[in-house]
Amino acid sequence: MNDVILKSIYALIATLGFAILFNIRGKNLFFTSIGGAIGWFVYSLFLYGAFSKIASIFLASIALSIYSEICARILKTPVTVFLICALIPLVPGAGMYYSMLECVKGNITTSLFIGIETLSLAVTISIAAMLVSSITKVIISIHTLRATSKRNNTK
Amino acid sequence: MNTHYQILHIAIKAGEIILENGGEAYRVEETMIRICQAFNVYKADSFVTPTGIMLSIIEKNGETYSAVRRISVRTVNLEKISMVNDLSRSIIPNKLSLTAVENCLEEINNTPAFSRRILLLASSCIAGFFTLVFGGTFRDFFVSLFIGMIIKFFSLILNKIKINEFFINAFGGAIASFLALISVKLNIGINSDTIIIGSIMLLVPGLIITNAIRDTLSGDLVSGISRALEAVFIAIAIAIGSGVIIKIWSVFSGGIFL
Repeated sequence: MNDVILKSIYALIATLGFAILFNIRGKNLFFTSIGGAIGWFVYSLFLYGAFSKIASIFLASIALSIYSEICARILKTPVTVFLICALIPLVPGAGMYYSMLECVKGNITTSLFIGIETLSLAVTISIAAMLVSSITKVIISIHTLRATSKRNNTK
Repeated sequence: MNTHYQILHIAIKAGEIILENGGEAYRVEETMIRICQAFNVYKADSFVTPTGIMLSIIEKNGETYSAVRRISVRTVNLEKISMVNDLSRSIIPNKLSLTAVENCLEEINNTPAFSRRILLLASSCIAGFFTLVFGGTFRDFFVSLFIGMIIKFFSLILNKIKINEFFINAFGGAIASFLALISVKLNIGINSDTIIIGSIMLLVPGLIITNAIRDTLSGDLVSGISRALEAVFIAIAIAIGSGVIIKIWSVFSGGIFL
């Protein structure tokens, strides 16, 4: 458990590095790095609780997408500012490397196996991000509908 | 100059800034049309792909003004996107004039990015801390700090002489695996796998994947698919770069993989 927290702090610093690389400034830097840490924390927490890799990544992406949407609404900044950097720790770089390594070693079956797993992890991240942003759009449109109907009633 | 031409130029300039600095296609379209509508244009339509912008304005009497802008330079500067977005939303509430918006855009376009030294430091932090995240020891951490800085140094140079992105990524992967293998051979690093994984996280196309998702979701299928393809190609380029070096290394060390 200590390991999970320690690695989340490392992920926070790495995300901060990406935020600087992508020229984010001011207080957004801080909130972006927190997002990276949340993503990694949720991912390794569910992995620790014997969830499968794909399920953990799915839940982690959902958690940090919700966090980014909330931050974007509160700080009046585009969602991507928070989402892009915070998603990077979850991108399966390790899977990419190992599938390449197995391919070079000549173990094509293992390479394909890991490669397909990596691809499905990447797709999982995108599905989670899509889900959250679609649901946010529904919530926002309900809010605006309510607001307009209230205004019409008072008139 | 005719006011319609001025509106057109301002809107397309705003779109250009967003697209050049790593914004999504749908955000470019939204921003340009928001600016046009803020200046009471009758009808405005746009079509945006990751490499170009088309925008046309139609007036009530049928006059049509249009412009095409080609995007060749692409960097990442999320702060500029955020600023242009704020500007386009503040035209109506603050009653900004055309020239005021033009000056603001020019100011945004000229805001300085972080200096080279800070970028090098940030990328060395990225490589180092990702090595720790993926289970490296502290000796691996120091090797990765060094590798991250070298990769960023070379990619800045290669960017300046305008070599394509795939070569830069392949080269970055090659540097990462080469230095990692040497460091393990010299007994500085312990595990070459974690060093390489941590270092190539620096090159992973996180921004492009996110933009591909968001573009596809908002119905910009052309940009969504082309971004997704770009992400796949970058991943393949990184794998090829590091794979070639590992293969050559194993040939010279007698078929032994580290």
